[in-house]
Amino acid sequence: MSFFVIGYYALLIGASCLAAYYKQRSVFMLLFSLTLVSFVVGIVGGVGALRFITTAAGALALAAGTSYAFREFLIAITSGGVAKELRTAPLTAAFGMFVIFTYAIAGIFAPWIAPFGESEVISSAFAPADENMLLGADQLGRDMFSRIIYGARNTVGLALVATMLAFLAGALAGLLAAVKGGWFDQLMGRVADVIMSVPSLIFALLILSIFGTNLTTIVIVVAVIYSPRVFRLTRAVAGNVVVMDYIEAAKLRGEGDWYLIRKEILPNSTAPLVAEFGLEFCFVFLLIAGLSFLGLGIQPPTADWGSMVRENATLISFGDITPLIPAAAIALLTVAVNFVVDWMLFRSSGLKEQ
Amino acid sequence: MGDILGLVAKRLGLGLLTLLVVSVLIFFAVELLPGDIAEAVLGQAATEETVAALREQMGLDRPAPVRYLEWLAGAVTGDFGVSLISGDRVTEAISGRFVNTLFLAAYAAVIAVPFAIILGIIVALLRNSIFDRVANVLTLTSISSPEFFLGYILILYLAVKTSMFPAIASLSTDMTFAELLHRTFLPALTLVLVVTAHMMRMTRAAIINLLASPYIEMARLKGTPPWKVIVRHALPNAWAPIINVVALNLAYLITGVVLVEVVFVYPGIGQLLVDAVAKRDFPIVQACCLIFAATFILLNLAADVGSILTNPRLRHPK
Repeated sequence: MSFFVIGYYALLIGASCLAAYYKQRSVFMLLFSLTLVSFVVGIVGGVGALRFITTAAGALALAAGTSYAFREFLIAITSGGVAKELRTAPLTAAFGMFVIFTYAIAGIFAPWIAPFGESEVISSAFAPADENMLLGADQLGRDMFSRIIYGARNTVGLALVATMLAFLAGALAGLLAAVKGGWFDQLMGRVADVIMSVPSLIFALLILSIFGTNLTTIVIVVAVIYSPRVFRLTRAVAGNVVVMDYIEAAKLRGEGDWYLIRKEILPNSTAPLVAEFGLEFCFVFLLIAGLSFLGLGIQPPTADWGSMVRENATLISFGDITPLIPAAAIALLTVAVNFVVDWMLFRSSGLKEQ
Repeated sequence: MGDILGLVAKRLGLGLLTLLVVSVLIFFAVELLPGDIAEAVLGQAATEETVAALREQMGLDRPAPVRYLEWLAGAVTGDFGVSLISGDRVTEAISGRFVNTLFLAAYAAVIAVPFAIILGIIVALLRNSIFDRVANVLTLTSISSPEFFLGYILILYLAVKTSMFPAIASLSTDMTFAELLHRTFLPALTLVLVVTAHMMRMTRAAIINLLASPYIEMARLKGTPPWKVIVRHALPNAWAPIINVVALNLAYLITGVVLVEVVFVYPGIGQLLVDAVAKRDFPIVQACCLIFAATFILLNLAADVGSILTNPRLRHPK
């Protein structure tokens, strides 16, 4: 029994007693079940496992603190309605916004943040980390850290462009289908059905095998694959708006389709569309990362997270976690966007039972 | 019962039609190639004669609809033509690997389905508690992670650092079943993690959706304990959405399996597809795409038919 183990249990049990005394039922349940789990984990994994739990708890606390501070910061710099909305944001959503903010900074200011260029060879292959290179070198001796920063620009940028294209095409088709109805609506619906009946990755692989892998093809293919999802949602949301009396009134006034879409339907269906944009971005981002991982996405020497994982995967068998960092960067951004979307959906649906 | 059979038959017909349209899409996508297959395969350096010879050999001089019908007739009888690169029959390359992929997907499904449904019910029972919140964050994280991230984490901790399981899922014919399960445990576990998270969230949503209905409130008001409300009152009506969830997620496995097979160098059809795409071996790409799309459509069909069959209102018409 080291002092660490004694301190660990003393802290946990003390904290659970305090929580119980102040009638914080859920906090108590969490802390005490953690204590019980620690007994089992400690016996199986020894001190190392307990240290891991402590590190994880510390990281969690740090993340919670950062998100709390970031939320307060956002509330302070905004005013009126936005600040009021932000106050209702859970910590997970604040954490998501913080991560998105960080990625945006890294992507926009990549050339200034990264110490080296993205395809600049500066040392030998797989060189370990030193004071010059934060994360060591990759399989060609390029700085891993710089490539990850540049990856934020390339990978996220590409996904963003593809998402926007998918969203524009899908939303426009959905709105037009809702307004026009008739054969146009039917036709678009059937086309969407067919595209959605092929698994997205398989569809992308088929098209990329034919047209080869270049950025334009990837963007267009991904947009075609994911626009039916947007189409269906927009069609459903706009379909509910189109039957309202004020649309009828606008039609009787003699307004055109474009006016109806822009001035009447869009303002009344933004909330679900914004949430869908976030979800859509996650799908697109994961698909593009998967394609890059398979070697069919962004081509070298451009820095890209998916292909960085594949190129450095051999390091895993030596117990090195470096190749996991770009993969973790992908996962972190997707999680962050999902957290924010979760909160938006919760707010716009008004479902308190969930 | 006449109604329900009619509905199922209609849905089956629609599924077949979708499959037909998708097969047209897969076949004619290759026709979009600049030039034609022969030119694309032989490249710029090929002479006129070699291109013409290959065209003749592949029957490219005949019109596309005729070739499509031949291809479709072949595909239905299990003959997908000849690989452009190796010259082997595509069916031989695919059949063994397809069985491997089905085995991996089935392995993952057998673990994931009961696990996810039970966890989903528990989380629905404990909704809005701290456990529900933690489960929400964990499942969201698992869904958001790319499959290769989860796969490499498992390799790092369960294969490299502790060497409990092999990192590469190579198969041979003389393995016992237990050995096979051990070898393929890590790829299966990766799939389980992703699919369980999806299924759990959807099961939870399906049950919570039901809990808002008036008859559940009635059961609660008469003093039934919460677990009994869920097991006796909510679950029988939740089977339809749950069967839907299971089938949809099995369909999701189809896409996930491609990335997982590449990570673990598993000899399945997904790996074959990725190799064929890189080499531009179109007959194999077409065959793999058709198989994946057909499985996907069939599972979606199963989801619809399952929800029709388990709907009490349709089973006992007034």
